[in-house]
Amino acid sequence: MDEEPERAKRWEGGYERTWEVLKEDESGSLKATVEEILFQSKRKRVIESHEQVRLGMMRHLYVVIDCSRSMEDQDLKPNRLTSTLKLMEAFVDEYFDQNPISQVGIITTKNKRAEKLTDLSGNPKKHIAALKKAVDTVCVGEPSLYNSLNQALQSLKHMPGHTSREILIILSSLTTCDPANIYELIKTLKSLKVRVSVIGLSAEVRVCTVLTRETGGLYHVILDESHFKELLMMHVKPPPASSSSECSLIRMGFPQHTVAALTDQDAKPSFSMSHLDSSSGPGLSLGGYFCPQCHAKYTELPVECKVCGLTLVSAPHLARSFHHLFPLQAFVESPLEELQGDRYCQACQGELKDKSIFTCTSCHSVFCVECDVFIHDTLHCCPCCIHSQVTPL
Amino acid sequence: MKLNIEGLLVYFPYDYIYPEQYSYMLELKRTLDAKGHGVLEMPSGTGKTISLLSLIIAYQRAFPLEVTKLIYCSRTVPEIEKVIEELRKLMEFYSKETGESNNFLALALSSRKNLCIHPEILHANIVVYSYHYLLDPKIADLVSKELAKKSVVVFDEAHNIDNVCIDSMSVNITRRTLDRCQNNVDTLQNTIHKIKETDAAKLREEYRRLVEGLKEANVARETDIYLANPVLPDEILQEAVPGTIRTAEHFVGFLRRFLEYLKSRLRVQHVVQESAPQFLKDIFDKVCIDRKPLRFCAERLQSLLRTLEIADIADFSAVTLISNFATLVSTYSQGFTIIIEPFEDRTPTIANPVLHFSCMDPSIAIKPVFQRFQSVIITSGTLSPLDIYPRILDFRPVTMASFTMTLARTCLCPLIVGRGNDQVALSSKFETREDFAVIRNYGNLLLEMSAIVPDGIVAFFTSYVYMENIVASWYEQGILENIQRNKLIFIETQDAAETSMALEKYQEACENGRGAILLSVARGKVSEGIDFVHHFGRAVIMFGVPYVYTQSRILKARLEYLRDQFQIRENDFLTFDAMRHAAQCVGRAIRGKTDYGLMIFADKRYARADKRGKLPRWIQEHINDGSLNLTVDEAVQLAKHFLRQMAQPFRQEDQLGLSLLTLEQLQSEEMLQKITQIAHQT
Repeated sequence: MDEEPERAKRWEGGYERTWEVLKEDESGSLKATVEEILFQSKRKRVIESHEQVRLGMMRHLYVVIDCSRSMEDQDLKPNRLTSTLKLMEAFVDEYFDQNPISQVGIITTKNKRAEKLTDLSGNPKKHIAALKKAVDTVCVGEPSLYNSLNQALQSLKHMPGHTSREILIILSSLTTCDPANIYELIKTLKSLKVRVSVIGLSAEVRVCTVLTRETGGLYHVILDESHFKELLMMHVKPPPASSSSECSLIRMGFPQHTVAALTDQDAKPSFSMSHLDSSSGPGLSLGGYFCPQCHAKYTELPVECKVCGLTLVSAPHLARSFHHLFPLQAFVESPLEELQGDRYCQACQGELKDKSIFTCTSCHSVFCVECDVFIHDTLHCCPCCIHSQVTPL
Repeated sequence: MKLNIEGLLVYFPYDYIYPEQYSYMLELKRTLDAKGHGVLEMPSGTGKTISLLSLIIAYQRAFPLEVTKLIYCSRTVPEIEKVIEELRKLMEFYSKETGESNNFLALALSSRKNLCIHPEILHANIVVYSYHYLLDPKIADLVSKELAKKSVVVFDEAHNIDNVCIDSMSVNITRRTLDRCQNNVDTLQNTIHKIKETDAAKLREEYRRLVEGLKEANVARETDIYLANPVLPDEILQEAVPGTIRTAEHFVGFLRRFLEYLKSRLRVQHVVQESAPQFLKDIFDKVCIDRKPLRFCAERLQSLLRTLEIADIADFSAVTLISNFATLVSTYSQGFTIIIEPFEDRTPTIANPVLHFSCMDPSIAIKPVFQRFQSVIITSGTLSPLDIYPRILDFRPVTMASFTMTLARTCLCPLIVGRGNDQVALSSKFETREDFAVIRNYGNLLLEMSAIVPDGIVAFFTSYVYMENIVASWYEQGILENIQRNKLIFIETQDAAETSMALEKYQEACENGRGAILLSVARGKVSEGIDFVHHFGRAVIMFGVPYVYTQSRILKARLEYLRDQFQIRENDFLTFDAMRHAAQCVGRAIRGKTDYGLMIFADKRYARADKRGKLPRWIQEHINDGSLNLTVDEAVQLAKHFLRQMAQPFRQEDQLGLSLLTLEQLQSEEMLQKITQIAHQT
């Protein structure tokens, strides 16, 4: 009962030609399927992302969510908006997991206007709460690319030069209603080094192609819900930092979490600085993180100190961002025929059926393509290498 | 790259080649070897032009005695410029590869601003110009008559070549023409008077020459120096100009009489249709003008204009037109018809008499071309069905082939929408044209498409009248308003300035993401000359089958002629004509292999084999049985899926080896096998 009501009934959905999805290319290789091309590009992405490039670890990302009329379309179940918001929640979680010292803000656009749903902040809870609330939004009118970009630009342009400035647009509509020439704005975005990426929910729109090409972002169009998720998760990984971005030393504070012992008579509960402006959230508490510079109290990290402006992080946060700097080496691709011995993937223990296999350069273990992608995208370390280190015990 | 095409070394200025280009060159080479004519169909955007140029130039270099010249005819100035651009690339490649300086001379005749009159251009190896320079007898005489016999003539974008031929031989005479002609004759008269007083010897000299006859021209034709002028029949050259029009005054008098006769003919109250012999008999009865002097009219006028040393011929276009008419009407007893209409069909109250002297046989104009040149290649993106062209142009080709487009991904998606969501059959046929349900369903189709197709949609209607009716009806039903939420709407009108304005704004709306729909008319300006690459045309919707207006008398006469002379049934020709225009319209959207677009045929009649079978092969092979009679909803689902697939990243590497080949790939056994299947012989 939990899952079922969410899904639309089969007969409520649009007309689908399910048999055609299954069709293999029967007329030989003249009609190469798009899926195969996609598979190749998936693999390519893994390789490309593992070249030694400098990645921007401190990111400022605005996500623009289209809330126009077309979001009510039911080709994603139950409709585009609900599906998008759900995926966005997962995205926000994953984003902060992989980029703990970065920030996100959310903008919605509908009825030719753009509104800020949440400001740039490093607190996932706030975003997720806002996203949950947004499910009830009524989708009306057309979106406005210009207004959304402008809105995002207003805050992004004040961000320091060593951080990345990014905008991710989830665009469902095929039209945009703009008050001025968008090409002028694209020029401005380019000069301010804002990177704009777009995920289209229906088809390729020219202006987005230009927008992403000019600003160095990515443009993808979803095929279905799982593809949508995949595309969204691509944006979790930090983009390569442009060589011209500033390098600077950043002062950071590493506050210890201290909890006053309940027996301590002098201990007084206090408010966290980050909860001052928001009425919700826990009020008084005893413990917390105290800024090493000004002793302001925060209950959550990472955060920028409201009093003295110091970036407060914990050591594990920084360590987690670290794998971007030292990524796992790409595995070597070779044809299946050359493999001697057992044809089993070392990770999933499944039989190797695909044309090519992937070998770790340090421990020479063999993996299938799915595991290869999983290891590089999620694990960030070779399971067999770790295993061999542990064995002496 | 350097290619070996059946032993011929061809320099191809690109690093990659499409398989169909190779196949195309193969067929072309065989045609040249056989010294015959060819009909070749290959989709636009697959590099026809460069294949043609590379092969023929290579052939010229290998066999300089067999082929001396390439005459490349294209339709519009931008197309000519495109050819020149490709040619330049090829020449650069030649000089880079061979190291020797370029000894090839190419000449393009596009517009006056690029004009060069250096005598060397006569020896150019390549001539690029418009159709009219070769087909229109008025211009062909000036420009093309000295072209050598061993030339290869290429007509590009030749799907409309029969109409060009017919237009070049047809004459329309209105009251205005006659008035201007009257002025011309007066001017002639005055000039003759003046000259007579100052330089009578000149006129005497002309008289002497005319007595001698047109021997010169005859000698020239026999010795094969000139291209025959279809207006100037063979017999005339062997005879002297008849006495009645030999002196200048007599000739002017003769023209006056002829003019008066035409004026009287235009004063009709009802439609008259007659054949050329009937006309000649009538003119003899009424004003005693014989057939013979009429036949010499055009030549005599030329001679007079030369003698009078009149430089600006353009002023005398009216009298030239009339004299051409006189010669044509008295020369050809067959293949022409004369129709005099007192008013236009649409405005029966306004008197606007027109004399149509209409050519019904396109082979008359093109005959000299086929006879004179050893190889004539007719090529276009849409020439299906191939066998009809040789029949209506009356020639025997040695090769006829249709090439498909090899694709790494299926980038065109033809859909035949035959029903609305309420199962009402969609059709633009006469009986259901006013049907409310059909109009509503058409509106619904456009509305649904406007919501799922990005950027630009081009919609074609069968005629202006039909478009006006439908759009008015959509407005009343509120469909237009709904469409405008998704996209802006622009409409093509008969006014050229208005249309180009609409087109400009349409492109702007496609460019900045607002999205737009262009409503236009098959056979209009948009359907023929304008390409909608990439985002300018993601979908083309063809509302109805674009049959020509069948009530026109000229068309009826032509159909009758085709049936009697060429055994082509009316219906076959009409369908052929409608389908080639439909193919032209939908072909606007795909201009290359990286482009993609939907082609929606919204009429259930397209599903029939006789219609579908007349579409070009490269479109036909993508219509599967499942997409023959779709409802609007089904079409929308298919389109959505298609557009998403096409939006996936597509790079050059994905094409390599399938639809784009390097030299090594081309030479593999397997590929050569495949290439032989690309050409579809008929």
